[in-house]
Amino acid sequence: MTTRDLLTGLTGFTDIEAPLAELEQPPFEIPRTVPKLRHFLQAALALEFLTIPPYLTAMYTIRPEANREAWYALRAVVMEEMLHMTLVANMLNAVGGKPVVADPEFVTDYPAKLPYARERVPIALRNFGREAVKTGLWIERPERMEDLPGTGEEPDPRGWTSIGQFYATIREGLVRLAERHPDLFSGDLAHQIGPEDFYNSGGMAFPVTDLASALKAIEVIAEQGEGVPGSIYNPDERLFGQAREVAHYFRFMEIYEERRYGPLDTPASGPTGPAMPVDWAAAYRIDPEAKVSDYPKGSQVRAAAEQFNLVYARLLLLLDRSFNGEPKQLQAAVPVMLELRDLAWQLYANPHPDPAKAARGVHASATFEITRAELTAAAAELDAGVGAAALLAALS
Amino acid sequence: MTRAREVDGHRYDVIVVGAGMAGTLVAKRLGDQGWRVLVLEAGTKTLNTWPGHLDAMNTFYSSLIKVPNAPYRANTAAPSPSVLDTLPAKDGHGYRSVGYLVQDGPLPYGTDYLRADGGTGMHWLGLTPRMLPQDFKVRTEFGYGRDWPIGYDDLQHYYCEAEREIGVAGDTAEQAEAIGLPFPEGYVFPMHEIPSSYLDRVLARELDGKSVLDRYTQQQVELQVVNTPHGRNSTPNQAYDGGRGFRPESAAGLPNYGERCVGNSSCTPICPVQAKYNPLKTQERWNRKVTLVDRAVVSRVLVADNGRITGVEYQAYDDPGTPVATTHTVEADIVVVAAHAIETARLLLASEVANSSDQVGRNLMDHPVMLTWGLMPGQIGPFRGPGSTSGFEKFRMGDSRKKHAPWRLVIANWGWTWAAGSPGSDVADLLGIPDSPFKPRGKAVYGNQLRERLGDRIGRQVAFQFELEQDAQPGNRVTIDPRYRDALGNCRPILNYDLSDHVKKGMRAALDVSHQIFQLLGADERTAYPSDAPSYFQYDGAGYTFQGAGHGCGTHVMGDHRHNSVVDQWQRSWDHANLYLVGCGSMPSIGTSNPSLTMAALALRSVEKIHHDLMDLHRPLVLRPTPVPGYAQPREA
Ligand SMILES: Cc1cc2nc3c(=O)[nH]c(=O)nc-3n(C[C@H](O)[C@H](O)[C@H](O)COP(=O)(O)OP(=O)(O)OC[C@H]3O[C@@H](n4cnc5c(N)ncnc54)[C@H](O)[C@@H]3O)c2cc1C
Repeated sequence: MTTRDLLTGLTGFTDIEAPLAELEQPPFEIPRTVPKLRHFLQAALALEFLTIPPYLTAMYTIRPEANREAWYALRAVVMEEMLHMTLVANMLNAVGGKPVVADPEFVTDYPAKLPYARERVPIALRNFGREAVKTGLWIERPERMEDLPGTGEEPDPRGWTSIGQFYATIREGLVRLAERHPDLFSGDLAHQIGPEDFYNSGGMAFPVTDLASALKAIEVIAEQGEGVPGSIYNPDERLFGQAREVAHYFRFMEIYEERRYGPLDTPASGPTGPAMPVDWAAAYRIDPEAKVSDYPKGSQVRAAAEQFNLVYARLLLLLDRSFNGEPKQLQAAVPVMLELRDLAWQLYANPHPDPAKAARGVHASATFEITRAELTAAAAELDAGVGAAALLAALS
Repeated sequence: MTRAREVDGHRYDVIVVGAGMAGTLVAKRLGDQGWRVLVLEAGTKTLNTWPGHLDAMNTFYSSLIKVPNAPYRANTAAPSPSVLDTLPAKDGHGYRSVGYLVQDGPLPYGTDYLRADGGTGMHWLGLTPRMLPQDFKVRTEFGYGRDWPIGYDDLQHYYCEAEREIGVAGDTAEQAEAIGLPFPEGYVFPMHEIPSSYLDRVLARELDGKSVLDRYTQQQVELQVVNTPHGRNSTPNQAYDGGRGFRPESAAGLPNYGERCVGNSSCTPICPVQAKYNPLKTQERWNRKVTLVDRAVVSRVLVADNGRITGVEYQAYDDPGTPVATTHTVEADIVVVAAHAIETARLLLASEVANSSDQVGRNLMDHPVMLTWGLMPGQIGPFRGPGSTSGFEKFRMGDSRKKHAPWRLVIANWGWTWAAGSPGSDVADLLGIPDSPFKPRGKAVYGNQLRERLGDRIGRQVAFQFELEQDAQPGNRVTIDPRYRDALGNCRPILNYDLSDHVKKGMRAALDVSHQIFQLLGADERTAYPSDAPSYFQYDGAGYTFQGAGHGCGTHVMGDHRHNSVVDQWQRSWDHANLYLVGCGSMPSIGTSNPSLTMAALALRSVEKIHHDLMDLHRPLVLRPTPVPGYAQPREA
């Protein structure tokens, strides 16, 4: 059966047949208690995070100096996904929750199934190419919103149909709970991440302290992705007084169509602006289903792939701390992100150790696999004082 | 807004000559106030797009010598000087100057600037210290140089405004405590300080609280590492602006990029992420009242019979590689020349305006930089963070200034790059490659050993930049001579430059201080001043070399009388009431502060005066029977 999105006409993928990992989704209902709301927000955190490894993979597999416009477009999108994650963490902290990041359950395996959707769409770690861009289009697709779940006692049997619907449900839950619980937003202010600690993305990080700021956060998340309804632009101009920018879905569309949107374009017109040539061949080809275990034990590629995952685990630990009362830990997390970029580049630049795959031009890749083992090892490293903080502490 | 480059016949409220830091700020503020501003820029505006920036980055990466102008492409119609133009003399004594500047003075003026949209602010380092209150009256207080007609208090408000426009990161509390700078009650910089480098912290641990002897005053001077304010994005201070905070400006041409310094340490010549302030960021905030015309070399400021300036004449060219242009004129109520200290003087001299005092081009100043360098006993991690994040401030102030020039002791965070061409020279050295093709090749190390030796050596490199105050000397000057012209036929600047004994004595004292510091650090000092270097000179029995800092100042000096200065305290020409000369050229003395912040403050101050001049020009005259000074009375019916 071929998958096809009715509104956008996007088609599915045929190359991945293995079972897909599934993100844990809350039941299809409006959250009616504060603990349930927190559960929804934790699920939203995982949803935002799910998008980051595939986007980073697409970006870092572009060969040096090639496809710069696509590179900066991907970069802008990925930075905004990080912002969304941060805003969700702020919401969760605001309602007294405790964001969980450094946990194997939090991190999905890839290929994963596109969550909150009826279709079986694989979200895989693909190299830069039409398929990777199409993956982004699926994730960010604008949706014709179906009904929210019913308000009955039992979960509504119909099930989730879109990410937009999921956020609209959280919104509805927030509004209702705020009415009944005047102290809903009583989380510790020191846990909020603001513009001091998060930067370089469109929009901006702001503390969530009441219903208004929570609703604004949801608006940013929904509209930076799929655009202000009926338009190709995100809401940064209206919400933050910034330059008008094309929303994620339409940025991916520009790459896919190799053409920019012009000032008069609409979602229906598609891009009719200047050409934006893409060199689809200028990317390291990788196996979208690669696992560390594919690489022979003792090989340098295996060691590099394991090192990548160890550093990835360190990043998760630092993010976990940043979201749990130590916002300044983001300063330590940023260099780790750059370290991950460099480690990933090293992997992509190497031929796959399997000669048959190498002969087909396939390269090694970062697998973003996290188990308890990586997290434990990374925590031990952090305790032993890895990174600059320890160096500086030794001075005083 | 950008127009075709032929604007003959158009009339503007204000013409600004030069889209560098000064001109850009003036245009921004006047445009915001609703005046129609035309900015004429000699260079191209390739750099204000992101692809243009990437092209400059690639040019920088592939250039063999990473001098300040390395990333920027040559322009035959509007040439720029390069620090590579100053060469050793053929006979091994002194220097010779090739390239755009003509130099014939006793010592070389070893400084460049950039003629492109954004100007020299594209490759400035981005340090933004304020001047000290005592710097404004050096003649009265210390007996050298020239006094200002205004003081620190007159600039306080405009310093704050300039710090907003540039986006300054720093620690006001430390600046107040360690240097004694007065700030308005409750004032903080828009952003928190740029974190001090690891090197700074090692030096603080080793040196803070210790002192060194000034040989001329016999006084001990206490050492204290103090963080320097920067025009560079850092963590915004939420307490700024009465709690409204501050959003760091993104890169020009790429939104949401460069909102923090990420420590590339190539600030000069180019900040890869544009976390460093550059004027193009301000240009992105110009409103539609401001029109920029690039590739327009102003060749003459036009003056009418009555002494008023009518406008300017400029040469429009198409291809920076082909020195062919057409000439045009354009008129305005007020003309602001902000073309850089040397170019402004050159243009005024060529136009024969504003010079009844005979001071145009005179008093050329810089901060001569004396470098000293050595190897630290342990790793200090240079090249992480901006080119410099801290300095020692006590040498800038006090009575020693009566004896010798003061200096700012800048801690360099880029190893021996400036002092000895590191890391390239280290690689060559370890590969046994001699500095001359006539010498035999030495023993080389390769592979792991090479890597380890390099890491060990470069990781321990420390250098100090002693940036001395230069006093205004009428003989240090820019002149023109019709025999020396550029490809469009404009007169090239001719420089006569020297250091006074006050400065040389300062170097003597500084070298002494440097020896003491290396000793305190247990470092292996490697400072060497070869006698065949272009800037080599001897003073009091010892030899010295120095570099230029790029801080050209003083060529249209400000004063309180038309007989001995070019502009008044508003940077308005004494000779022409509607001509403003804006830039470091107005500064009568420059203290030991990198000059651009003070220049920006002066520019914003001038804008207020220009705004008032324009209002006066446009307001219709209504005759009133008995004018009461300062107060308009209602008329009797
Ligand atoms: C290597 C280096 C590092 C520096 N670091 C610092 C620092 O850390 N801190 C600091 O405070 N200062 C620093 N400076 C000094 C700083 O760059 C200058 O003070 C500042 O840029 C001067 O600004 P300006 O607008 O007066 O001149 P410029 O920036 O030079 O701009 C002048 C503009 O006028 C244009 N122009 C020239 N002639 C004409 C003409 N005839 N017609 C039309 N347009 C014309 C030019 O093309 C240019 O765009 C540094 C300088 C250098 C060289």
